Parts: sequence; C-alpha cells; structure tokens
Amino acid sequence: MSEPPGVEESLSLSGLDLPRRNGELVFEAPWQSTVFALAAAVVDQEFGGDREPFRRELIKAIAVEPDRPYWESWTAALESLVQTLPAPR
Amino acid sequence: MSEQAHGHHHPAPPSAIERRVAALEALLTERGLVPDGFIEDVTRRYESEIGPMNGAKVVARAWTDPEYKKRLLADGAASIAELGFGGAEGSHMVVVENTDAVHNVVVCTLCSCYPWPVLGLPPAWYKDPPYRARMVREPRKLLAEMGCDLPAQTEIQVWDSSAEVRYLVLPQRPAGTHGMTEAELAGLVSRDSMIGVARL
Repeated sequence: MSEPPGVEESLSLSGLDLPRRNGELVFEAPWQSTVFALAAAVVDQEFGGDREPFRRELIKAIAVEPDRPYWESWTAALESLVQTLPAPR
Repeated sequence: MSEQAHGHHHPAPPSAIERRVAALEALLTERGLVPDGFIEDVTRRYESEIGPMNGAKVVARAWTDPEYKKRLLADGAASIAELGFGGAEGSHMVVVENTDAVHNVVVCTLCSCYPWPVLGLPPAWYKDPPYRARMVREPRKLLAEMGCDLPAQTEIQVWDSSAEVRYLVLPQRPAGTHGMTEAELAGLVSRDSMIGVARL
C-alpha cells in the first residue's frame, strides 16, 4: 500500500489544530452514529461481544481505501461482516 | 436525529452512504437486532456519558492515591473498573506512565483501536492515515507539529493498540497543583494528554 500524496498537508488540514481540548463532536451526521450503533448491535448479539471479526473487516476496509472517510470504511466493514451472518432464524 | 432517518424535514435526498446505512439498519432490524430506541441510546451514551472525563478521573485518582496508582500500573482494566468504567473495548487496558525520562504516546496503526470506556470514541485525526503512519515513523516531529514539544533527552515510547491491548497514558501531574482536590485535578486532564499527544 503506497502512501497517498500530500499526506503531510492533509494532516494539518484534517483537524490537528482542532482537538486540543475535550468535547469534540463524536459524530458529524446521524448516519455515522447509526452505523456505529448497528455495528455494536451485531458485535454484541451475533458475535457474543467478540469485536475481533468486525475489527478484521475494518482493517481490511481501511487498507483497501486508506483515504476513504473513516465512517464510510466502517460502513463497508459492517456490510462485509453482515454478509457472513447465517440466515435469520 | 431520527427525523432525518425517517425523512421528515430533510429537503436533500439521502446521499449514497446514507442509503447504504439505511439498508443496513433495515436488514438488521429485520433480524431483530435493533430494538426501538437502541440507536438513540447508544448515541446518547457516547455523546454524554462515555468520554475523556472518565479517564480524567482515573488519572486524578492515580495522582492523589499512590496505592491506586500502583494498582493501576499493574492491572489497568481492574483498577479502572474500580471507578466504574469498563465494558466494550476496555477489558485489556494497559496504563503507561509519563516521566521526565519517557513520554508515551498511543496509536493504532491498522485501524482505530482505542480505550472507549475511559476516552470515548477516538477523535477524527486519530483515525486518519497520516497520524497512524507518522506517529510510528517520526513521533518527535509529529508531536511537535501537534504542539507537544519534548526535550531532546526525553525518550518517546510509541504504543500500537491492538485487539488485545488498549493503552491509556498517565500524564505527569503539573507543577503547582499540590493544594488541589481530586475533582479539581480531574478538570486539568485533557483527552490529548491521555493519548500522549499533549503534556499538561
């Protein structure tokens, strides 16, 4: 995986000067908190609280498109994980 | 929040990512995984109850109670649970102590592992590729860019989080705080100091 161009520039633009205090917004849009909670539900109820299967999908999703916005990678990871679930009872 | 999800007062059509998330929500609801109010509940907890204020209490206790600090450094998860914080992402927590000689900083090179119960969800920059790559490659330079200048003789120890272990930095207690109560001290502890990208 090659490093994206302009990585240093994007660092300074991507909020490094913002989070020097507590209280940053956790979610920027409702779909982000939704997909976060959905992953929590799947991890808890389908994997007995084991986060490792989701984490593996998240690592893959980030590695495939390192510059994709974080919560979009999270969404892609959850989509992949959901495909591995057995048919509902 | 649910207003947008259900299409009220939402003039713009949903974006592609919003449609994908809505599809996931529908699918998982059908499987019975999403009880009424579940999403709102999780969101509210992470926006108001679970966050760096929890870690700040742990740090302030360690600063004021040497026995607690000993336990905290020996068994992070158990000592943090003593204060009532635990659960998802917090079962294998290791606390690393900053000193004059060593400055600790935490990263997750592969994704975004982070000690949720004591710090909440990670800030945006923690999840960005530049932070994840550069904190390993050139920590001193990156820390300086983030406003954390370290003396040349201070060794920097970078901790890469993993599924097994989450790290919390115990920052140094600032000088001139001897008369302060534990609660006052907790008010001094920033999230960034517990990730290790700031000093107090």
